[in-house]
Amino acid sequence: MKSILAGIAFFGLGFFALLGNGLAQDYPSRPITLVVPWPAGGGSDILMRLIAETARKELGQPVVVVNQPGSGGSLALREVADSEPDGYTMSMIATGFIAEQYGNPNAPTLDDYRVIALVGTDPAVIAAGGKTGISTLDELIAAAKAQPGALRNANDQPGGTSYVAASLMENVLGIDLTLVPYAGSAPVVQAIVVGEVQTATPSVTDLIAQHESGEVKILAVAGAERHFKAVDIPTFTELGYPLVTGTVRALVLPADTPDEVFDVLEAGIMKALNDETFRETAKASGFSINPLGGSEAEAFLEQMDESMYPVLQEAGLVKVRQK
Amino acid sequence: MTEFLPVALQLLTDPGTLALACLATFLGIVLGALPGISSTMTLAVLLPFSFSMSPGVGMVFLIGAFYGSVYGGSVSAILLNIPGTPGSMVTQLDGYPLARRGEAGKALTYALLASTFGGIVGLTALVVFAPTLARAAFAFQSPEYAVLMIFGLSMLAYASPGSTFLGILAGVLGLLLGTVGLDMITNLSRFDFGVSHLQAGINLIPFAVGIFGFAEILRLLEQPIVVEKAATRIGSVWPKFTEVIRTWATAVRSAIAGVIVGIIPAAGSAIAVSMSYAQEKKLYEKTEKFGNGNPRGIVAAETGNNAAVGAALIPLLTLGIPGDTMTAVLVGALLIHGLQPGPKLFTDHPDFVAAIYLALALTILLTFLLALPLMRIFARLLSAPPRFLYVGVLVLCVTGSFAVQNALFDVLLMIFFGGAGYFMLKLGIPTSPIMFGLVLGPLLEENLRRTLIVYGDWAVFFQRPVTIGMLAVTAVVLMLPLVDIARHRFWPSPVARHD
Repeated sequence: MKSILAGIAFFGLGFFALLGNGLAQDYPSRPITLVVPWPAGGGSDILMRLIAETARKELGQPVVVVNQPGSGGSLALREVADSEPDGYTMSMIATGFIAEQYGNPNAPTLDDYRVIALVGTDPAVIAAGGKTGISTLDELIAAAKAQPGALRNANDQPGGTSYVAASLMENVLGIDLTLVPYAGSAPVVQAIVVGEVQTATPSVTDLIAQHESGEVKILAVAGAERHFKAVDIPTFTELGYPLVTGTVRALVLPADTPDEVFDVLEAGIMKALNDETFRETAKASGFSINPLGGSEAEAFLEQMDESMYPVLQEAGLVKVRQK
Repeated sequence: MTEFLPVALQLLTDPGTLALACLATFLGIVLGALPGISSTMTLAVLLPFSFSMSPGVGMVFLIGAFYGSVYGGSVSAILLNIPGTPGSMVTQLDGYPLARRGEAGKALTYALLASTFGGIVGLTALVVFAPTLARAAFAFQSPEYAVLMIFGLSMLAYASPGSTFLGILAGVLGLLLGTVGLDMITNLSRFDFGVSHLQAGINLIPFAVGIFGFAEILRLLEQPIVVEKAATRIGSVWPKFTEVIRTWATAVRSAIAGVIVGIIPAAGSAIAVSMSYAQEKKLYEKTEKFGNGNPRGIVAAETGNNAAVGAALIPLLTLGIPGDTMTAVLVGALLIHGLQPGPKLFTDHPDFVAAIYLALALTILLTFLLALPLMRIFARLLSAPPRFLYVGVLVLCVTGSFAVQNALFDVLLMIFFGGAGYFMLKLGIPTSPIMFGLVLGPLLEENLRRTLIVYGDWAVFFQRPVTIGMLAVTAVVLMLPLVDIARHRFWPSPVARHD
């Protein structure tokens, strides 16, 4: 009898808890889902799990990471854009998202979202293989100009972070490389170390070990400042070529999310991103954390969209919608 | 290196660490056995727990879960015909028929013995040859990858039971399925028929769960459900010693194949097992049948799968290049503890490297000890009444397909391939070559096209020693049947032909 009563009480409480869901002032009253449009175990996934863990403390509700990879992330992102704008489903977008907007008819656009926060930018680098004998950016430019297209560059699929970085570098340096796509960063590292390509444009963490052992030479980092894992390597800007590019990660909600919900989540996420322990753990893993809140983050992404558009257009990746 | 062993030993003999290692291995086996939860996902889920541990303990924890899940994957493959992880897809080709014959315990023991042997060989390769073998991985560039896939496909005809023609037909179907979705080189979507989910391509797990697991349930439902006493026995868990010894050559060859594929960065365990299984099938095609419960098939698949584990750590630790997606997660774990995998790890943190070696050794032992009692429990599941068992398996088919990418579309895909697999069974078309085509095809295409971008010319395949060697072997493999036919025609043997 007692257990039946307890059961009724339990379900009763559950019922009221459900009722409470509709009320924005109680937000958040149940777990929040963070959809990661990449497979479990990747760089973005590891970082998002760290953020989810920290945000739980700030928001008082668990933040559950759900991986929904597929189709360059567009599948999951479209689903989140179309989901109930109640603040219980958020997602993550990265550099590749910008290209998907113009190349994939199903992909959502920046207008479909409210940006909660920018997590940070992991800068791309340009590196030359050890056997090439190239040890400065100027030497690379000279070698590339002597024989346009002769130098090959390892990056990812057209429109991907590394591909876009390589294209932007070609423009700013005024050189012409032959872009070779690889699936993921591991094959890129192998390709440049063995010399199948002469240059590569992955992130700092992908190549720092090989740089230190002398198998490759990182020539310049496309960050706003020097990278904490590679303090001796100059930035493009220092060398006279203003360029900041790399893996930009941001957290987003559906566009129609009401202010009272958005503000609570933005405050919680920003607190989490500025948490000391979180920043230390993220830094140890090689992630650059430079948080920007809602409106600033939105402006940053629009700026990025501006600068990437011509590159995508040139590469024939603007297909389904124009700017 | 040896002077650091005592430090590492001290770490591993700590009771807390040992208990944690047991827990991790147990979790690994159970999660690995659940269809749809791959070794990579197991690691990703357990990774955050390791952040709070010391680097050495964290690695013991993760390696335990990693290795445990690789073995666990074979459990559901053998018992339910559903691969728990991509690496166990081939294990079921012979494991499941053996279990159906009422010898589930035996099949599981073969898998355990084979995986333990494979694990030990992989570990030995890691400890003894790491720096040398790491350099060998560099002989593999895009042209070599492309030719390796061609070699794998030439084995495809042998990898299927029955008619070679039907085997090739199924293999071509697999190759076609592999072209669905976004193309790696141009980022264009192919054969998606306007279905946005197909842009992501056909995921291996829903495919395998459907065509093997679901199709098998459909076939079983044809027969009136009677509880066959014989088929529900667990059977003797221990195979005869002489039977086990008979497979030693297979184990050695498959372990070597596993190590080689494991070292090649980004090749993955699905390739390792496909290669070692096809190789054994070719070698024994005259004398033994595969695909209906041949222990040799289980041994080939499981030894290859587990040998690849230790080997995949070689490029990770020595070059900083992860050998597969599982070790890519381990990179994340290392970085969080401030350890950069790569050429300097051996000189800067030799004590840590020693701890990894010992952790892997400990895990192989723990998996063996834990799996022995667990095996009996797992095997007993099969003796549940069919009306419960079939429903349970169907539930696993659905949840397993869903879990891979949290997508309902994958469940529909699984059901579609289940139906297709059922009709193929009825028509006598083998289904396993489709899987080989689906695994090898996309990699062949990607590397072939990249080779042509980089070198601009087909001639490159005939200018590199490794590609020439592999093409020659491929040619021999393909010519052998012709030589056989010619011999029978011109010098008819007095003995009647087997077929």
